Amino acid sequence: MKLPASIRLTYRNVLVNMDAGTMVFMLGLPALYLLVLGTMFQSLISGVPVNNQSISYTHFLGPGIVAMQTLTAGNIGGSMLWSDRRWGMFEQLLVGPFKRTDYLLGIMFVAIIFTLGGSFVMFLLSELVSGGFILTPLSISLTICSLVLGTILFSALFLIISSLAKTMQAYNTITIVLFFVLDFASSAFYPINSSSESIVRYLSLGNPLTYVTDIIRTALISTPNFGTLEELGIVIVITAVLFAIARQLYKSIKMGI
Amino acid sequence: MISGSPDAIAVKNLVKSYDGKKNAVDDITFSVRHGEIYGLLGKNGAGKSTTIKILTTLIDPTSGSVNVLGYNPEKHPLQIKKRIGVVQQAESFDFTTVENNLKVYATLWEIPREEAKARSEELLELFELTEVRRTRAFELSGGQKKKLQVARELMHDMDILFLDEPTVGMDPIMRRRILDNIGKRAASGMTVLFTTHFLEEADYICDRIAIMSNGKIKVEGTSSELKAKYGGLRTLEITASEDLKQEQVLELKEGLFNANLAQDAVLEGKTVKIIGREITKVLEEVLRFARKYVKNIESINLRDATLDDVFIEVVNNQ
Repeated sequence: MKLPASIRLTYRNVLVNMDAGTMVFMLGLPALYLLVLGTMFQSLISGVPVNNQSISYTHFLGPGIVAMQTLTAGNIGGSMLWSDRRWGMFEQLLVGPFKRTDYLLGIMFVAIIFTLGGSFVMFLLSELVSGGFILTPLSISLTICSLVLGTILFSALFLIISSLAKTMQAYNTITIVLFFVLDFASSAFYPINSSSESIVRYLSLGNPLTYVTDIIRTALISTPNFGTLEELGIVIVITAVLFAIARQLYKSIKMGI
Repeated sequence: MISGSPDAIAVKNLVKSYDGKKNAVDDITFSVRHGEIYGLLGKNGAGKSTTIKILTTLIDPTSGSVNVLGYNPEKHPLQIKKRIGVVQQAESFDFTTVENNLKVYATLWEIPREEAKARSEELLELFELTEVRRTRAFELSGGQKKKLQVARELMHDMDILFLDEPTVGMDPIMRRRILDNIGKRAASGMTVLFTTHFLEEADYICDRIAIMSNGKIKVEGTSSELKAKYGGLRTLEITASEDLKQEQVLELKEGLFNANLAQDAVLEGKTVKIIGREITKVLEEVLRFARKYVKNIESINLRDATLDDVFIEVVNNQ
């Protein structure tokens, strides 16, 4: 059976990136957040308000950790372009039987695979730690849709950095800073409301991870409403804009110089 | 597509400028027949790699026409890329083990599993990579990395193989083994475009050779044609019993150059190597020099021009 070029590249990306370091980054750290940070804070926090109900901290954190997988996988996806450019594989693959679009799709697909796999593991862990998530066709569809959109969004963001960065130091510094800002200035770890510090509140409002987290949290803990649709719309718009920019920058990468 | 063309590669008046001012490739015309091994030689920055990058669709030419396997690389890149193999000058490998690098490549090129396994074993053996098959590629030595790059490319079938300095860092036995393997493949119809700094390699394997300098093709022909064309060129080597001084050799060089007798004169320890045409006159000059500065002559050796000599003459006389 002949596989499409983008699927063959996806296979290559999975095989090449399935190393211990990536797995620790993808699964180990979020699992530690959930199991150590989650249970420790639970003993300090009596309840977290979500959509007019009070839930345990681990119950609150679970969907946040699931949503975080989009950022982690997006980072891995975007870094693939940087790494392939740095180590000569970008040019090597593009003198092979592939179009530039195939390469881009290969990155997006592998990031989505990593997100879905990682999210599933994090969801199971969350179920073990707190349990009580709502699983209906709507909640599952909404969660998967948000995960896929979020992955494309963050992959595009890191692809933009990969396309623009000139040195490895610049790339590493930008991605590390961005990763922590996006991770912690979002609603993944704590609720963002009027009592939050204003700087965190503003940062989280401009942070797409907040919207991805909120949609998934609403889907798995409460009932989706018009606000959920609004947030989904915001994610779609940011994804479209970032993807368009990433595609343009990616197309303009000069080769052979 | 032009069908039935005798040329696998046809390049006419090709120009490439990266900055719009200086031409990296400056109006070159050449063709490579099917099944031919064609060598592109030249100093660093001569334009060899840029030419290969245009032919392999990586970069677009500024002007001129290019035809690879009957296709224009700008218009039909994928049709070309499906039928070529490229070993780039720069290092390139996946961050996984040696055998996984081959396995991944086999999947990318849609080689059936059993066939891929057999080819992989054969190539690991041929390139003496069996012992490091489970080593990660980035842990290999420079020569081993290059071997992996060549082995990986030979995993799939192709009509044209582009080799951009493929034997850098390899020992002479491995270099010869790779050249023989490539020669065998060319004998069964594969076309090869080959660049190298090892001129004896080009002499050994190439059917035709072009020497590039400053983006232009200066000369083209078979190795023996080039030697004949720049013929009359011979090398005289005189070895003294003790080390010679650079200033003494400079005096000899000046005398030879002023009399227009030599193309080059190099001192290597106790040996002075002179490349020239009228070798009897050169010998007279050398003996005059020897009487003045050399106590005992260990040996005097006269030999015909090599491709190295042709290369030096062509590049120096641009």
